[in-house]
Amino acid sequence: MAEDINRDPLAGAGALWEALLALLPRTKEELKLDLSEKVERSVVMLLQEATELFYGGRRNECLQTSEAVLDYSWEKLNTGPWQDVDKDWRRVYAFGCLLKAACLCEASEDATTVAAALKVCDMGLLMGAAILGDILIKVAAILQTHLLSRKRPAQGPTQEQPSTKKARNEHVSIPDMKSERTVPRLHCPSLQYFRKHFLVPERPVILEGVADHWPCMKKWSLEYIQEVAGCRTVPVEVGSRYTDEEWSQTLMTVNEFISKYIVDEPRDVGYLAQHQLFDQIPELKQDISIPDYCCLGDGEEDEITINAWFGPQGTVSPLHQDPQQNLLVQVIGRKYIRLYSPQESEALYPHDTHLLHNTSQVDVEHPDLEKFPQFAEAPFLSCILSPGEVLFIPVKYWHYVRALDLSFSVSFWWS
Amino acid sequence: MAEELPGAWFGFGFCGFGQALGSGRARRVLSPEPLRAPGAGLDVYRVSASWSYTAFVSRGGRLELAGAAGGAAGGCRDAWASEALLVLLRAGPGPEPGAELQAWAPGSALRGEPLWVHTVEAEAEGDDGPGGKPQAGPLPLLPCARAYVSPRPPFYRPLAPGLRARRLELGAEHALLLDEAGQVFSWGGGRHGQLGHGTLEAELEPRPLEALQGLPMAEVAAGGWHSVSVSETGDVYIWGWNESGQLALPTRSLAEDGKTVAGEAAGLHEGGPDVKSTAGGEDGAPTPFIAVQPFPALLDLPRGSEAVKASCGSRHTAVVTRTGELYTWGWGKYGQLGHKDTSSWDRPCRVEYFVERQLQPFLFSADQTNQKVIWEKNQTPQYIFLK
Repeated sequence: MAEDINRDPLAGAGALWEALLALLPRTKEELKLDLSEKVERSVVMLLQEATELFYGGRRNECLQTSEAVLDYSWEKLNTGPWQDVDKDWRRVYAFGCLLKAACLCEASEDATTVAAALKVCDMGLLMGAAILGDILIKVAAILQTHLLSRKRPAQGPTQEQPSTKKARNEHVSIPDMKSERTVPRLHCPSLQYFRKHFLVPERPVILEGVADHWPCMKKWSLEYIQEVAGCRTVPVEVGSRYTDEEWSQTLMTVNEFISKYIVDEPRDVGYLAQHQLFDQIPELKQDISIPDYCCLGDGEEDEITINAWFGPQGTVSPLHQDPQQNLLVQVIGRKYIRLYSPQESEALYPHDTHLLHNTSQVDVEHPDLEKFPQFAEAPFLSCILSPGEVLFIPVKYWHYVRALDLSFSVSFWWS
Repeated sequence: MAEELPGAWFGFGFCGFGQALGSGRARRVLSPEPLRAPGAGLDVYRVSASWSYTAFVSRGGRLELAGAAGGAAGGCRDAWASEALLVLLRAGPGPEPGAELQAWAPGSALRGEPLWVHTVEAEAEGDDGPGGKPQAGPLPLLPCARAYVSPRPPFYRPLAPGLRARRLELGAEHALLLDEAGQVFSWGGGRHGQLGHGTLEAELEPRPLEALQGLPMAEVAAGGWHSVSVSETGDVYIWGWNESGQLALPTRSLAEDGKTVAGEAAGLHEGGPDVKSTAGGEDGAPTPFIAVQPFPALLDLPRGSEAVKASCGSRHTAVVTRTGELYTWGWGKYGQLGHKDTSSWDRPCRVEYFVERQLQPFLFSADQTNQKVIWEKNQTPQYIFLK
């Protein structure tokens, strides 16, 4: 490397680089790793070496060292159940992502490089844990702004049809619900009324007038989502349902997801499901609120898990139960939802494996009654949830969901 | 067996801590290079490589460490290196024939006191000399075969009395055991199919692999999340996670790079017909990708070769054949496959370095890490150790 002792090792060209540098600690001493003893000494050494290389302006070596940190910590992240992975390993991973993304941007500011750096940030957000005051979110925002300001003409697949759905040959079977008991509906009940009549007795209910004025109801469309989140990397589930053998999870940008699984006559079902999109992209969080009813729980507000569920017509979530209370807000499109009380669990034939013990073996709309005879007699409630409506799914209440249209829902899990 | 001829060690793979591969300068070594152990002329018979350091044990009982952990000690019979713990089997303190198991923090440079010590009872017979029963082991299985060492507490783990263990290997979340009858057992986490019982469920206790019952195995090896066993007749069985092609089955990630057997062949390392993997699918039909293989699958090596030894890194696999060829496949980003590049492969590829020099890999050890070490049986009697 050319050595010019008088030259600031971190001097780089470009406004993007300056903006990134402004976010980072100014010196390597100020970059506090703050890692517990759970993280092996050798890894800490390597990470320290990477930060030294970074602040010493030795970008290529920093990239290599960061890569080694990423590869090793990735293995830790894949060891054991996710909830048991030590948070500090996730922070190590996030540090690796931060340094790698920064090094990439020091070299070049062209769209391909910045998109790659943004993907690295998203990996750090998806798999890592918060470091340096949520720095990865800020870095990602800067990179995203930079990408959008150099908008290429063919950024998204189709931008001119935000709300039209392609005519599909497949039938959309809207369930004939005449014979089904429907979920009761209430308009803006008071907190006490809701608690007394639904939360405590654990009864489902649809709340109207609660979320229908949220900004998302008017603002969100395919076009808007592509604008705000198009270049961001998200996890996508591919396959009809997660109980299928062919089912898998993969990563892609929101643009790729829309192009492949929503717009262009998709071959497979893809579902952007159960993803904390609003932590990743704070701008979207401004379009939603947290329903007041969540504060009736025991937890703190920051313990509420907010998930996005975005996918084409036809996505199915097999009948299953969750360990927390759920308020499901429908934003785009309609969903057919069936609900079975936990008291009916036996008639729902849950899988006996540990992995799927909260999932029923029965295909709700095409049940094999020879194999699962009791299912036919199990009572249930059902509804078609439409934009603006909020469904309360009590803790452990079995629920089955099928999207009747292109759909976007937001769920709030609380205790 | 005939008296072992002395040989030379070669290494390749990740070297980010200067742990004695080749010149020790490069971060990754892409092709086998003669191994350099600290201290000249060490007659190394055991090498245990962890991610950031390597432990060498000589026939004279000398232990040397290289890489992020340093230090040396005498009186060592065996060593097992992991990032969390360095475990040594040393001659006992007194005149009795027992031995002492010591666990050290790798950063301690073997100074001060070990983290814990466990006296190991004397075995029935001593070293693997002629007339003696071949010992169980190496570490993490103890020579008495009644217990093994774990890098996570509890460190000393007894095995059920009925189990007559010959070999034991640890993956990131699971354990494999080969007993004296050639039966394979597995236990631990199973979310990637690494236990081989056909499910993704964990097993708390050693459970025999029904799929391999009646097929006596000679070797077992454990990668991070995959498992390999070699039968007495030289067949290779493999199961677990295939995310980098470590099972030699088509994997999606490599297809996207154009390197899977289901896609275009990206250049072969040996002449002759393409190697096909054992993935399902009729001829002409697109081969499905396999992410997880929860049952043992039989693997065909090129040219119908018979395997004699298998070893795994965290995400790659290596096999030595009866005719002295080394095949590697799986994750190759750090050169751990030894093919002079950083490609990953989802089918067995021969390591040409040894063929070109007419050397025959004979015995080797890889580790939970990227690093790979080979002991090669040379024709000329020579002890070669280079740093």
